[in-house]
Amino acid sequence: MTIELTINGEVRTVTADPRTALLDVLRDSCRLTGAKAVCREGFCGACTVLVDGEAVPSCLRPIGMLDGRSIVTIEGLAHFETPNPVQQAFIDHDVVQCGMCFPGMVMTLTAFLETNPAPSRGEVKAALSGNICRCTGYERIVDAVLSIQDMRKVSGR
Amino acid sequence: MNAVTDLASVVMDLPRRDAQDKLTGRTRYTIDNIGADMLHAVQVRSDVASARILEIDCSKALAMKGVRAIVTHADAPGLHGIGVADHPLFASDLIRYHGEPIAAIAADTLEIAHAAARAVLVRTELLPAVLTMAEALDEHAPLIHPDWQRYELLKEGAPRAGNVAWEAHVTRGDTDAAFARPDVTVVDDCFRVGRQSHVPFEPRCAIASYEDGRFHIQCSTQVPWTVRNVTAKVLGAAASRVRVTVPAVGGGFGLKFDCTIEPVAALLARKTGKTVSLCNSREEEFLSCLCRENAEVRIRSAVTPDGEIVGREATVLMDCGAYGGEQIFLSTMTAHTLGGNYRLGAVKLNSRAVYTNTPPNGAFRACNGVYNTFFLERHTDNICAAIGMDPMEFRKQNVLGDGDIGATGQVFQGDVLRPMLERMEAISAGAERRDPADGRLYGRATTVGTWFVFVGPSAATINLNADGSATLVTSGVEIGSGTMVQSLPQIVAGILGIHPADVIVKTADTDASGRDLGVGGGRTTVSIGSASKMAAEKIREQILEIASEMLQTPPSGLALRGGRVEIAGRPGSGMTIAAVVQRAEELFGPMSGTGNFTAPGVPSLPGCAAGHFIDAIDIPIFTVHDCEVAVDPDTGHVDVLSYRVVQDVGVAINPRAIRSQIQGGVTQGLGYALHENITIDEHGSMEQSGFEHYLLPLAQDVLPVEIVLHEGAPSIGPLGAKGAGEIPILNVGATIACAVARATGRPVAELPLTPPRVLEMIQGHAKALDFAHISPVWHANLARR
Amino acid sequence: MTFPRSVDEALNDLAAAGPDAIPVAGATWVMRSPLRHEVMAPVYVALSGIEGFQRIDVTDEAVSIGPLATHDALAQKLPPNPDLKALKRASARSANPGVRRIATIGGNICTAAFAASDFAPALLSLDAQIEVRDKAGLEWLPVLAFLESRKSRELPWLVTRIIVPRTVRLSAHERLPMRKAGDYPCAIASVSIAVDDRGRIHDARIGVGAVEAAPRRWQNLEQALEGQPVDPALTETAARDLIADFTGRDAVDAPGWYRTSVLPVLLRRAFETIRTDYETRAS
Repeated sequence: MTIELTINGEVRTVTADPRTALLDVLRDSCRLTGAKAVCREGFCGACTVLVDGEAVPSCLRPIGMLDGRSIVTIEGLAHFETPNPVQQAFIDHDVVQCGMCFPGMVMTLTAFLETNPAPSRGEVKAALSGNICRCTGYERIVDAVLSIQDMRKVSGR
Repeated sequence: MNAVTDLASVVMDLPRRDAQDKLTGRTRYTIDNIGADMLHAVQVRSDVASARILEIDCSKALAMKGVRAIVTHADAPGLHGIGVADHPLFASDLIRYHGEPIAAIAADTLEIAHAAARAVLVRTELLPAVLTMAEALDEHAPLIHPDWQRYELLKEGAPRAGNVAWEAHVTRGDTDAAFARPDVTVVDDCFRVGRQSHVPFEPRCAIASYEDGRFHIQCSTQVPWTVRNVTAKVLGAAASRVRVTVPAVGGGFGLKFDCTIEPVAALLARKTGKTVSLCNSREEEFLSCLCRENAEVRIRSAVTPDGEIVGREATVLMDCGAYGGEQIFLSTMTAHTLGGNYRLGAVKLNSRAVYTNTPPNGAFRACNGVYNTFFLERHTDNICAAIGMDPMEFRKQNVLGDGDIGATGQVFQGDVLRPMLERMEAISAGAERRDPADGRLYGRATTVGTWFVFVGPSAATINLNADGSATLVTSGVEIGSGTMVQSLPQIVAGILGIHPADVIVKTADTDASGRDLGVGGGRTTVSIGSASKMAAEKIREQILEIASEMLQTPPSGLALRGGRVEIAGRPGSGMTIAAVVQRAEELFGPMSGTGNFTAPGVPSLPGCAAGHFIDAIDIPIFTVHDCEVAVDPDTGHVDVLSYRVVQDVGVAINPRAIRSQIQGGVTQGLGYALHENITIDEHGSMEQSGFEHYLLPLAQDVLPVEIVLHEGAPSIGPLGAKGAGEIPILNVGATIACAVARATGRPVAELPLTPPRVLEMIQGHAKALDFAHISPVWHANLARR
Repeated sequence: MTFPRSVDEALNDLAAAGPDAIPVAGATWVMRSPLRHEVMAPVYVALSGIEGFQRIDVTDEAVSIGPLATHDALAQKLPPNPDLKALKRASARSANPGVRRIATIGGNICTAAFAASDFAPALLSLDAQIEVRDKAGLEWLPVLAFLESRKSRELPWLVTRIIVPRTVRLSAHERLPMRKAGDYPCAIASVSIAVDDRGRIHDARIGVGAVEAAPRRWQNLEQALEGQPVDPALTETAARDLIADFTGRDAVDAPGWYRTSVLPVLLRRAFETIRTDYETRAS
């Protein structure tokens, strides 16, 4: 099946079994390896991407259902030399460890802050209940998110 | 030699240089380098726990289009192991665990490889499976390794017998006399823990090729040199024929401290002549995880009315699974963990690594220590209850201090634990009690822990470049802890007077760097750090020597700062280091320095320890943890209300990074204490194969850990540093367990404290542990040869 | 994969492909079939293009929900009224935020193998009606009858609408995961009651999920509560007295005895919510 969709602003035509997970199309066909295949069952959030602006686990999205949709991956979120405010806060707070969960964390939190620009600590944690980090123990991630002052920069992506 | 480097030039909260790429999805881990331009491999695994292999027929699979090679035991007959070479790459005549690799297939695509795997016919005769240590120690139990006596011994001197893969003993003093004293109270306990799975987000994976007659393996490992050596051993190749390179590693936590799938990829690469990738699916990563082992203990102590521990005897059973692996080494650690923390009169410890027909276990952050600390601290609280002494007072009175001897007779230096306890006491006293007073049961506990740095050989080379930057070449791997991008460049830069950003850190390549024991055991900053420090000091000496001549100033009057050699006290004077390098090239060529390090060795009491790999610990590390909990009496849910850590760090080279390690380590410990549990079903297979049933802590289950870094304890580490990344997990299970025991008034004897387990305990339905397979008579538990 | 634009087309597609075809709503269950070692169905009939399937209409009389409404959409669209609290909470607390943005109510209640559905007990307590279409035509089923028919109904069929009637009632939904959130609950209790002018419970409806393999109503408890005051402690006691009605499901996540032990606690908590809403309403 041939599917036409927009990935990071670029119209792409993908030929694949429609049951293939978006995650596999991104990683194997597009070689966009920022989204990580970790649990493949929607619990870990490491493969989170934006589909029409919504942060969803790409392992659970069959590519056949995404014709005409717009996908933004971590590679398309911001140029690496001009990180978005979430990424910059994580850099400033030295939050990263192994790094495997962070592309998904950034996607989830970027979308979350757009709709909830002044969250409480509890709201940030609840928003992360589908993003697992095995290294950091989360608190510094939450600290970094709460330190972001200028949310307009997040939504101005 | 110039004066010791100023600590202030090294200590800083240097941010990570790899954060930006990791945050923007640009970092390529090994798993991200797997692509269509290579073959894809899968392993054929056993679906039974114990069987004799009658026939392996690969003909159908091999005939499938796109299948390029199949390998079995016949291709890799060598055995490997730690202490004992008992482990084949593929099952040969016997299958010893559910999930054991039997063959591996390389094909054009993963789908073809999987289809071929289903087409491999394995004819077997089922054998009885020994699934628990109790069964394995039964005198009529089938032998899991019938040929155990014929295995090559890689280390001599340990008792072994049948299903007991290894024993490590400590015998110091006369425990019989101590227990016979009329004035002592004897406290006797049994405890048990389950398995913990590491769940690194990048599973184990390898990409292998065969180039110019040599293997090249790129893999996600903590131990490039172990991969090199084990691959050579099982493939029957010279170790010099194996090259291992390691990009960024997506989490390890000890799982990747062993060689597992890498030789399989190498074997298939040679057989096909092509690049071969092999990557565990998440399910395989779970089902073949070298977990923190399940363990059991019987421990008893003789304690005087005023709280002196005059005698202690314990037998610890550690489940190896089907092959000895790390548990053989870790039997050593019982002496230093269960035998740690406290001054003991007479002591006898027996640490037994036991074979079962279950997936092999391995090393997990503060391996062995985590459960032995739980055993010891719960036992200590039981002692306090039995003699009516305040647990904090008892600990302050008995913790190891300056000049005290440990279980194996080593002499400890410095008073560390007692001041740390006092510091914790002061912090807790000043903090508000967080009892929610909402009907839940409130408890609080403080525990102590003893851990160590796994030292051993490391090597470093530094090349000083013409631009004044330095390139550090070691076998260190960045697994996420930050050592390679923070403490190492900080140490080197501090010594050379340059900015850490100007220290280039080469990723591990066994062709470029010297041998190393690997990244684990909290050793990177200490061992690789010491080697790096030595290399940097050699260069510093050269710089000063040349600059001294150029500036007509004695080396003692010079300082290295901001990329310059300055005349001391005159900032901006002198010359750039680049100018010195230029001069050096005219004189003798480019500047480089090498450094090395190994365990210096600390004496133990002769005759105390048998079967140990480490008789005494070179760098002890201590920690004090404290927590408050609320237990829901209706559901058994445990809420952690506060968590405090006072950790001995020697010198904090990067305090912020250490705090990150503590927050992360405590969180993994909370998982171990409350939810994470791998159980084995009646077929010998793990019951948790994914994230649905293996419950990792989520953001809402965690709280900010209040942290105090305790500096100044003695350490032979570089600038007085100690490893800081392992020990944060050490005491979490112990502390939560002690707090829950106090909250509920129930004798917590098992981890994890899942809601059902806690509710069962509160309802009074939990059976007291009393292991029939661990005799109360200590000697009766020794292996008979 | 086919993309029908109407229910008729979807039923035709399913019929044409026979047992090889499965209808796909949010796809969160079907995408995990390889993890369950199931063969992936060769034909997916994607329902996302069917007109009106995502719609949620809220009136004073009823809530009409298209089967492809996501958990997240429901959680946002439902008003905070006490009669709908069980449904709103079931929508807002299941799984995790990412999954809630794609998983659908129709997929949730059609997946008979999933024991820990939040919607099934919630809809049971709210006396929802399920509109089912098959080749014979359209049928309205009470939710319990629908749930019981899932495995036996002749294929192909589709849930095309869910109607939750609205009356002056109070409702609550309590679930117990092992962690704070994020894992499937080991027990779920959904409650909806009317309260008469003497402050007594009338017509209680209690849906229980995850305790047994299939969700069901707890009729004995409903009867026991008839005419009783809104009293959480009393409800817990009544539930404990009747707990033998359930045989808890032993599974990897929790033993059966634990599920039945905590179920009365969940009922108490549900009635704590209800009591608060009742008192608020009364004042």
